[in-house]
Amino acid sequence: MLEISELYQRFGDRVAVDKLSLAVNGGEIVGLVGRNGAGKTTTMRAVMGIYRPLGGSITWSGHPVALSDRLRFGYMPEERGLYPQMRVLDQIAYFARLHGVELPAARSEAQRWLTRLGLEGRELDLVVALSHGNQQRVQLAVALVYQPELLVLDEPFAGLDPSAVDSLSDVLRAETARGTAVLFSSHQLDLVERLCDRIVILEQGKVLVSGTLDELLARSPQRLRVRVATSADWTANLKGVEVISKDPLGVLLAVTPGMDTQAVLREAMAAGLVEQFGLESGGLVELYRQLVSN
Amino acid sequence: MNPLKSIRLIAGREISERLRGRATWILTGITTVIAVALIVGPTLFSGATKPYAVGLVGPAAQALAPTLVAAAKASGVDMTTVNVSDDATARSELTPKQPSGQGGGPLASLRGGSATLDVALRLDTGSATIEFYQTVSPTLAAVLRAVVEEVHQRDVLTQAGVSPSVVGALQQPEPITTAILKTAPSDLAGRRIAALAAGILLFFTLGIFGNAVASGVAQEKTSRTAEVLLAAVTPRDLMTGKVIGIGLVGFAQMAVTIGAALLANAIVQSSLVPSEVWVLLPAILLWFVLGYTLFAFGYAAAGAMVARQEEVQSVSAPFTVFLVGGYLLMYATIASPDAPWVRVVSYIPPLMPALMPARLALGQVAIWEMPVAILIMLASIYGMARLAGRIYATSLVRGGPRLSWMSALRRR
Repeated sequence: MLEISELYQRFGDRVAVDKLSLAVNGGEIVGLVGRNGAGKTTTMRAVMGIYRPLGGSITWSGHPVALSDRLRFGYMPEERGLYPQMRVLDQIAYFARLHGVELPAARSEAQRWLTRLGLEGRELDLVVALSHGNQQRVQLAVALVYQPELLVLDEPFAGLDPSAVDSLSDVLRAETARGTAVLFSSHQLDLVERLCDRIVILEQGKVLVSGTLDELLARSPQRLRVRVATSADWTANLKGVEVISKDPLGVLLAVTPGMDTQAVLREAMAAGLVEQFGLESGGLVELYRQLVSN
Repeated sequence: MNPLKSIRLIAGREISERLRGRATWILTGITTVIAVALIVGPTLFSGATKPYAVGLVGPAAQALAPTLVAAAKASGVDMTTVNVSDDATARSELTPKQPSGQGGGPLASLRGGSATLDVALRLDTGSATIEFYQTVSPTLAAVLRAVVEEVHQRDVLTQAGVSPSVVGALQQPEPITTAILKTAPSDLAGRRIAALAAGILLFFTLGIFGNAVASGVAQEKTSRTAEVLLAAVTPRDLMTGKVIGIGLVGFAQMAVTIGAALLANAIVQSSLVPSEVWVLLPAILLWFVLGYTLFAFGYAAAGAMVARQEEVQSVSAPFTVFLVGGYLLMYATIASPDAPWVRVVSYIPPLMPALMPARLALGQVAIWEMPVAILIMLASIYGMARLAGRIYATSLVRGGPRLSWMSALRRR
């Protein structure tokens, strides 16, 4: 298990991470969410030992992370992190060997991952000759080839097409099924919702909220969806009720504390046949907007 | 992982990637061809040396033949005399003629035409004419003038009634003893050429491979590859592996170039470079290893400080200045190898790789100097490695604008 406790880091006058704490268990996917400068990359780089934090601690299986532990971590920085003029197969095998895999196994595992990630036939291509998406697949292969116990992925889905997103998601799920702990960051909240077991929302280096998706959704603003079989604007008579949107699926109303939902129902029934009336969660996006704006 | 294994892996990647690329092979080919051409070219074009041919026009000049030959020999000029009947014939024999037909071989047209005479001398009563087609040895010209002037003085004194014995005594030079306190090596010219060649080769090789280290480090930093690498290896091992890997490629390139030049020299039996120069080969390679190691660590630190690849040249400028400075001082060293200031300056570590091989080639290094110089160099390399290692470790993963040397030296 990876445990980050009261992590603190400052660059000049700017506090990048401010007493951040989170944990990632084996077989779990934890998503780090936050806008640019929230502290996601700084946190990940601290885990990977790229710099020594000014405060706090990072432990793995109960002891401070050492170089020998990091040999079992797979890392994917936000930039490519690859040698552009090196052949794909050679590069993956090289990083495997640096992590202690012997040469024959390094090359066979590299080949296996290339096949699994849909890059068969590109073994002898230079990395620079690949598309953005394929370069990211190579990067992922570099992180996975030595069967890491922890995956630290900084914006792994950035710039990927939907099929590549699905492919990467499948790989991460398979890794967690194997017992690997996964920590990744992303701006794509719908993806985080679909993939993560737990989510941590950062802002200005602090944890705003963390928990399972269900726990976070429970905190998300509620909405009331009403669909009435009429073309008339029946919401005009609603007083003190915010209309979020109107579309063919119905009207979406913001639910506030003390709101009289029965009054809304009566107004809808007076306008015509009520086809749908029910509460739904605003989702992670709404929760994020609410937290960040506060 | 075992540090030695990490370093070996990192160095191995540097070697294999450089050998796989064309740049290394092209560069090696260029330096080898240039080195071989410098050896073989002059031998092909020079032909056998021959004595200067001096045409003597008219009886008065022809009577001076023994005197001229003796005077030339005393001055170290190899000369023969040819009796020429008249001025027109002399002028014709002075003019070079292009070879005709198949004679002379394919290089004959490149060599240009040859003339029968190099200079023509005519003596008249009260005057003399020395005619050249083009400039010949200044020493030969001086010898001819001196003889003509001596004849003129004798004629003037004789006409003035001075007795022949007095004239003879006047023209007999004072016995002068010439003593040489320090004899120059008989193969001085060849040693100078060897020193120059070694200096040029070292300058270019150190510069090219030192900059290769800086560029490689900068590329790893700016692409964030360094972050992935540092998850598995320490900054010290990463830097050391890179320096060793690139250095081995440079060493091999130098060895190939020098070996090809020596082989060419042995084949054509060039008179320019004495065959004994091969004993300098180990010293040249040693100073490449020492010099490259010193500069490479510095260049590695410089590469870690950049924010963009384009900044490599400017950040590594201090090391380039020392390389260029050593190269320029190498010429002064060849000109005055035993000057006291040369001996002192050649012990400044960044200048040693340029100056020590030159002094060694010219035979100006005492037996005790080489071990002392090597020790100084090793100590400097150790200090540079420590300093550079600190800068490298703190700068390699630090983002933001380019670092200054002072900020890079501050502990993180």
